[in-house]
Formats: sequence, structure tokens, C-alpha cells
Amino acid sequence: MGEEIPVDVGLIYEGERIRKSNMYVDLAGPKSRGAELLLVAPVDEVEDGKVEVVGPDIDAMEEGGRYPLGIFIKVSGKTLEEDLEGVFERRIHDFSNYVQGFMHLNSRDIIWCRVSKDAAKKGLKLYHVGKALINLYKAEFDVIEKMQVTFYTDEKAVDEHIARARKVYEKRDAKAASLKDEEVDVFYGCLLCQGFAPTHVCAITPSRTSGCGAISWFEGRAAVKVDPNGPLFEIPKGEVLDPVRGEYSGINEMIRDKSNGSIERVYLHSLFDYPHTSCGCFEAIAFYIPEVDGIGIVHRDFHGVTPFGIPFSTMAGQVGGGMQSQGFLGIGIAYLRSPKFLQADGGWQRIVWLPSQLKERMRDVIPEELYDRIATEQEAQDLESLKEFLKQKQHPVIERLAEEEEEEREEEAQPVATMEELTLPGQVMPVAGSPTEITIIFKNAKIYAEKVIIRRKE
Amino acid sequence: MIIAVSGKGGTGKTVIASLLVRSLTERNAYDILAIDSDPDSNLPEALGVEVERTIGEIREELLEKRESLSPGMSWHSQLEYEAMRALAEDKAFDLLSMGRPEGPGCYCAANHVLRGIIDTIAKNYDYVVIDTEAGLEHLSRRTTQNVDVMLVVTDTSKRGITTAARIKELAQEMKIKFKSIYVVINRATAETKQRLEDYAREIGLEVIGVVPEDENVKSYDHEGKPLIELPPDTPALEAVRKIAEKIVR
Repeated sequence: MGEEIPVDVGLIYEGERIRKSNMYVDLAGPKSRGAELLLVAPVDEVEDGKVEVVGPDIDAMEEGGRYPLGIFIKVSGKTLEEDLEGVFERRIHDFSNYVQGFMHLNSRDIIWCRVSKDAAKKGLKLYHVGKALINLYKAEFDVIEKMQVTFYTDEKAVDEHIARARKVYEKRDAKAASLKDEEVDVFYGCLLCQGFAPTHVCAITPSRTSGCGAISWFEGRAAVKVDPNGPLFEIPKGEVLDPVRGEYSGINEMIRDKSNGSIERVYLHSLFDYPHTSCGCFEAIAFYIPEVDGIGIVHRDFHGVTPFGIPFSTMAGQVGGGMQSQGFLGIGIAYLRSPKFLQADGGWQRIVWLPSQLKERMRDVIPEELYDRIATEQEAQDLESLKEFLKQKQHPVIERLAEEEEEEREEEAQPVATMEELTLPGQVMPVAGSPTEITIIFKNAKIYAEKVIIRRKE
Repeated sequence: MIIAVSGKGGTGKTVIASLLVRSLTERNAYDILAIDSDPDSNLPEALGVEVERTIGEIREELLEKRESLSPGMSWHSQLEYEAMRALAEDKAFDLLSMGRPEGPGCYCAANHVLRGIIDTIAKNYDYVVIDTEAGLEHLSRRTTQNVDVMLVVTDTSKRGITTAARIKELAQEMKIKFKSIYVVINRATAETKQRLEDYAREIGLEVIGVVPEDENVKSYDHEGKPLIELPPDTPALEAVRKIAEKIVR
């Protein structure tokens, strides 16, 4: 009885929006509530093909009414794993939208559905939507052997369903947040900014959000699914060339290709040698401060000056444009939360300065013993006051700086060519020391520079 | 069909756009979407619609909270949901307000996604009327690039018509594809009408209609009453109704 779906089902209805004037009922949405959940269950707990509606179905709803809605799907199959639940669940949106006269927006506990007057007149019920979902899922995924759908429209049942669903979302999010680059085979690339920076491509991995901060690895995955020919695309990870600096053959090949050969290699987690290029949209800049051998961070919303005496905007002009700038890196703020955050350079142990507002925002990620040792604009407005502050607070970089000074002195006395490769970090390299006698010793050094200016101190 | 109404500030662009919406609703046969894409105009007021949220506000909100957004939720779906929510749909037409232009942050990704979403929404309507900035920047960046009819509204000055010609050039430069572009001369008097029509033709512009000076429009504007409620026989509305007929046919 009523098994036959009374409306068309197909891809062409995907973008269908049901306007209020054509709407029979409003389900879930901003003025009501709802949630959808898909779980992988053991074979004997799924009754294949069953659709149940707990509460009134569409034919028992009042025209123009608004009702809460819960969608609960159980699937089973020999090879199904819990990890696939989220991926499958996101398809509820696509598949239910294929039903003519049924609109579905968003996911999880922020869904919003509508049924059109036409569809209601033809006799469309949630029951049919469930049947259509089962057909579509099974056609798309061979691995799904059994599937069962339950709709809730009864207030109490919906509330219980939402509570159950939220617990599952939390569990999934905790797992996703700890997803590592090592655990995935595919990264994502983004070309959205090539209009401004023709050689710039953003490499997006679980541990590196895009420079603009808008696109995480998960977002990349979702975007590629929605628009496979769009500005976001998959990057096969390839070989891991350097796990600490974050160098992957797949990313190198992709960057070489998309930058027309102008960029050869990229380290995801370092400011030096082959730093990631920056577009112009980045939320923050990480910059190397040679005087203290530490790294500062400044974000777009900070309007004061960095210890270099220049504000974000001036620095941004030097960093962007799709170039690899030694010692400078445009980043998304979310990257500060990455477990691999500048790990090749020492991570948070190397951070010496950031605006107080940003520092406060990052309170939960900055290692506790470091928090008070990192300077802000309140303690350090220039290099002198920065150095003073770091010494006073015994920031880890000071120890290293002291060791290096020690080594240098020893080396001066007895020159041995053992120093590791040194690359000049910035575009401006202030040379401290006596104005009359300067000794610069490079050992086993490779120096790349467009221009070097040595001037008498005035 | 997407109809963009453009023109310099002060030409009465919003008057024409709102009367066009009114004309289209009179037939009771179409699904109509009005898009307010000029932050300096007041299309919602002219149409008597209260806007709760603009697309600009949605974008700001989402950019602000993106750090705390669950990895299991897609940004795209979220924006799609919010855009639908921003749709004011209590009248014989729906209205979407684009809101203020963006601040200093990066909006490439958000705008890219929003453009796609608005295109999808727009496909659900028979007619979309966009009140757009004269600069056309918003048209190309924020909403659809494919406009079927571009109406350039001008006042009765010769400079107004020259500006219309400039907008036509600009639209072509910006690769906004439109099937036809017409000039609407607003607030015309009997003696200026012929002269302006001739001049427009001279510089290669087609005049689709001439809207007369209208005391009702003036007083509604003055009192802040929605133009959409103008009496059905007021001269300006009658003139725009004729324009609508030409476009629909």
C-alpha cells in the first residue's frame, strides 16, 4: 500500500528550493528543531527495507504547519566500518533532495526540510522519502547490504533522537580533531587565490588549514565532492620525503605543476629553505627574528607594530604574492592549533612574540610553562625590549642563543668547518657589532639573495 | 530570467527595480526573487520588506566562528542553510539582501561558495530582479554573472545617458554576459523625452521605456511609504508595467 513513490526521483531536483508560497509543511529548520543520524549496525539489528514514521506523516500534518524532524538510518554490511558513518550521513542531503518536492538543507542537528504543495497533493509521505533513500543508497554503495530508515515527527521522540545524535557527533568530532597527516592518503589543493598570486597553490592537510583559514582538510574533502571540477582538488600524498618538515612528493609535484615550475619544493611545517608560498589572504604571518633566533606571529586584526617596527600590512606586502619568502610564512589562525605547528623549527618553543589578543585566544594551546615567557606588544615594541624580556623570562630561545654565542666564540679561536648549512633568513639582515671592525664568517654556506646591501653605520 | 537594474546613485534605480517587481507580481503567475545588491540603496524598504539578516552578516558570522565549527559539518552546507534563512519570503515575492561590503579579511572562499549558492537559489524563480551598484563590481563578484536583461537607469541629463553608455562598456569589459541591455529614462518630462531618446540612439543605446515624473512616487518617498503599495494607476507604475511587458514577452 502506497509503496510506489508518487513523485519523480532524480539528480535534476537537487537544487530545488521550496519557497514558502509553494510549501506544504516546514520540517525542522531555524524555527523548530531536528537532527539526522546514520549508524552502522550489526547485520541482525537492521531490518532491510523497513521505513517507520514515529509521529504524524505528511498526510496527517496541517498545511502550512511546522514540525520537528528526526531522521535515523541504520545500515549494515560485512565490510562496513564505523568510520564511514559520517561520510554516508552527509549523503542524506544529496539523496533526499533528489525527491521532487522535498527540500533538505545542511546536516547533523542543523537540518531544514520542506515539502511542496504539489508533492503533498500527489500523496508524498516521509515513508516514500525513506523508500527513495534506501533505493539510492543501495544503488550508490554496494557495501550497504541492509538499510532501515526511521523518521521522527513526534516532539518527544525527536528530542530523544537529537540527544542521542549529539553524543555520536561529539565522539566523531573528537576523533576527527585528532586526525593526522599520516592517517590519510589524500591532501587537497586550492587555487582560489591564483587570481591574485598566479604561482600560489595552497596545500591543505589535516595538520595544515589553508592560509585564509577558511578551508580545512574536511572542508576540502566536502568541496571536491560537491564540485569535482572546482578550484579545490585532490593531491595524492605520494612519498613522505621528510616527516618533520612536512615534505611530500605528491605536494611537490602538484606545486611544480600548478605554479608553472616556479616553485619546486615545499615544506609544510617550516619557515626555512622551502616554506609554503603565501597568497595575500592569510590570517596571520609567522616571521623569523634573527636577533633572538625566535619566531614572531602577527595577525591581520592587530593594527600596532611588530618588533621589526612595521605593522601587519607592511609585512603582508612582502610575504604574499605566491613567493617563497625565507623566514616568512602566511598562515591561517587554525594552524596555530595544529600539533605539527612549525614543528621543524621548534613549534611553540620557538615563538617569542605575538599580539596580546591572539595570545589570549591561543591560551589553551600554548604550553603552560611558555605562556608567560612569550612577549606581546605590551612588553616588547622593538627588538631591544624583546630581547630584554626574553632574557628576563628565560625563554627557551635564550638558552639556545647563549649556546650559539658560546660556540661562535670558540670557533673564532679555532676555525673548523663543521657548522651546518646556513641560509640568510630575512630580506633585511641587521648586522650587530662594532662599526669599525666587522667579521663575518660563513662556513659551508649557501646564500641566496636578490640583493645584499652593506652600509656604514651612521 | 535575471534582470539587473543598474544606474548611478540618485537616478531612481531602486524606484524602477521595486516597480518592476510590483509589475511582475501583478500577474500572479510567477515566482519572483528580488536581490538587493547595492549597500547604498534601500530596496527592502521600497518593497516593504523587513530584512532580518543579510548575506554579508552571514558571511561575517561564519568567518568569525569557523575555528569552532565542527569538522563534520561542511561550510558550504552551513552557508546554504543560512542563505535560505536570510531569504525574506512573506510577500508575493522573495527578497535576498547582500548587505555591506566586506572588511579587510579574506573573502575569496566565502564569496566563491556564496556565488554558487545564490545561483542555485536563483534558478528556482521565474524572474530575478537585482538592484545593483552602478560600479557593477557586486554583480560580477557576488551574484550571478549571467544576466539576461540589463536595465540602465538614467536621469534626464545628457551626462546621465553618457554614463549609461559607460556602464554598458564596463559590463562588457567585466565579461558579464547579458542577452540585452536597455536604457530606462527616469523622471522625464514631455519636452526632454524626445531629445533624450534621440541622443541615446545616437550613441547606440536602446531606450526600453521612459518613466515620467510622478507626484505619488515623490510623496511616498518623502513619507517613507513602500513604493510597492503605490496606486495601480500612478503614471510611473504604468510606465514600468509597459517595460515589464516588453521584457516578459
